[in-house]
Amino acid sequence: MSNATTKKGRKTDSRWFRWRFHLSGLLMLIPLVLAPFYIELMSVFGGASGLGARHIGTQAAGPWQITLAEQFEQAPKLDGPAGYMKTFNAALCQTCAEQVKAVYLRLGKPRSLRTAGVIGFGSPYHMSFSMPVPENTALDAELWLTLEGWDGSLQQVQWPLRQASPATIEFLQQQQEL
Amino acid sequence: MNSNTQAQAPKKRTQWWFLLHSWLAMPIWLFLFFICLTGTIATVSQEIVWLFDSSVRANPPDNAGEMLTFDEVIEVVEREAPGAYVAEITRPVKSQFALTAEISYPDSTSENVFINPYTGEIQGRAASGFNFRQFVRAIHGWLLIPFNTGFTRYSFGWYMVSVLGIPMLLSLITGLVVYKKFWRGFLHPRLRVNRGARVFWGDFHRLAGIWSIPFILIISVTAIWFMIQGLLFEAGVPFNGASQAPVFVPRDEVPVAEQGRPPLITPDQAIAAVNQRYDNVEAQVLRLPGTAFGHYRVLGRSQAFPLVHESFLVNPYSGSIDEAMRVGDQPGLMFTRLSMRALHTGDFVGLSLKLVYFFFGVLLTMMVFSGMRIWMTRTFKTTQAAIRQKKARVKAIGDSA
Repeated sequence: MSNATTKKGRKTDSRWFRWRFHLSGLLMLIPLVLAPFYIELMSVFGGASGLGARHIGTQAAGPWQITLAEQFEQAPKLDGPAGYMKTFNAALCQTCAEQVKAVYLRLGKPRSLRTAGVIGFGSPYHMSFSMPVPENTALDAELWLTLEGWDGSLQQVQWPLRQASPATIEFLQQQQEL
Repeated sequence: MNSNTQAQAPKKRTQWWFLLHSWLAMPIWLFLFFICLTGTIATVSQEIVWLFDSSVRANPPDNAGEMLTFDEVIEVVEREAPGAYVAEITRPVKSQFALTAEISYPDSTSENVFINPYTGEIQGRAASGFNFRQFVRAIHGWLLIPFNTGFTRYSFGWYMVSVLGIPMLLSLITGLVVYKKFWRGFLHPRLRVNRGARVFWGDFHRLAGIWSIPFILIISVTAIWFMIQGLLFEAGVPFNGASQAPVFVPRDEVPVAEQGRPPLITPDQAIAAVNQRYDNVEAQVLRLPGTAFGHYRVLGRSQAFPLVHESFLVNPYSGSIDEAMRVGDQPGLMFTRLSMRALHTGDFVGLSLKLVYFFFGVLLTMMVFSGMRIWMTRTFKTTQAAIRQKKARVKAIGDSA
């Protein structure tokens, strides 16, 4: 009887002995599981699903019109020495795309064009802003967009940060509680 | 007796090397196999798309004349998709691939459009972002694990994959040590197909191994470099050189215009400006200015040193060349990075080299498999033998009792 149990034990030992060397194959599950997320991420980056993961709204800025979106409904991300960064996307209307020279974005009211913030990069229908978010930003801060025309004219619109990115507000609350 | 131990010493050393060689890849063989296989597919991923999707082919008509210039590509887009913004044009020369323009529409979506380089016909469209080529690369390169998750700035998968360069390089070295006089294998190739699986895979492993020495060396060293590159990036080491701040058109050089966007010089004019000042530049990719203060970026593979591409920034208002990065101008780290990548992917000559890389990629993938087969049959037999011996011993004890 004791002989039978040891025999059985050896059998499983041997199977385990053989199969444990194939276990690294389980790592292949990583890309399998992540594939839907990857496809989703690429469609956001590629603009296939529009301006971003979450539309914030459209406002008139003087004669022009601008739409703002969060690229992801997520908290700002630490980007090495640059600190925490948050990406917003904006689109100009088709008629005003030719009129507007540049769009800038920052937290809080800019004092001048020099301090208007980060410049929107890329297509006027899908400008991307990578904006620094200091950890001590006030929870009632506002996002200021400054539109500069080719003729030199300036227009400004703002959104409360609470409305523009609830995820960022949540992040700031957590940071400031610590 | 003294002479006997002396003779055994080298044998023991070889055995030790052999053990090391056997154990290097065995615990990770299936993962390594997967990475080699996806890498092999990635080498020819563009060609695979070409096979299955006729719209990305160049398809020259019978009376094929000159290829469309960059300006003509923009004209095609403006005609077919009025109001669309062109972000980038890729214009492969002497290639079987169509021209590609990355364009953005007023509804904020974007697409890659494939344009026949001779007729200007739009042959197909694909949403930018996800595509097969990039997908295979992302599986092979970082297992689709996202970048910049807060834990590491590069994808964690990047390190899981690139660290495999170390066992691969060590496998090559130990393999050549234990394969005595391996150079004889070049002159007397041996692949016995009728002596059972163990013999076949053993012969295959050795034969493919010696013919793949340069390839395995290239792949493993460049993979180890990818790991170093990631670590340097984590440490904040600038690849473009510390002094290389982004170049912008100064505000006072950007014209003020009452009637909207002032006219820019055209892409062909920008490229002509580069060709006028620099010899041997063949523009392959053109990026349009990303802001009112941005430049045209003209990219072309170096004719003198094809591992590295050259880049020129052309002021879209004045036509002046505000930055020229030729092969010799690249900072050392950037030069290394570009060369290593090109060496790893094999994408710097054209289809012929890609097929060579594909062939050796298949061999390498099969070497991982054959190594496992050899290990399994041998080790399994040794284990069986050990169990048999033990059984016999137990039986002998029982009989004598």
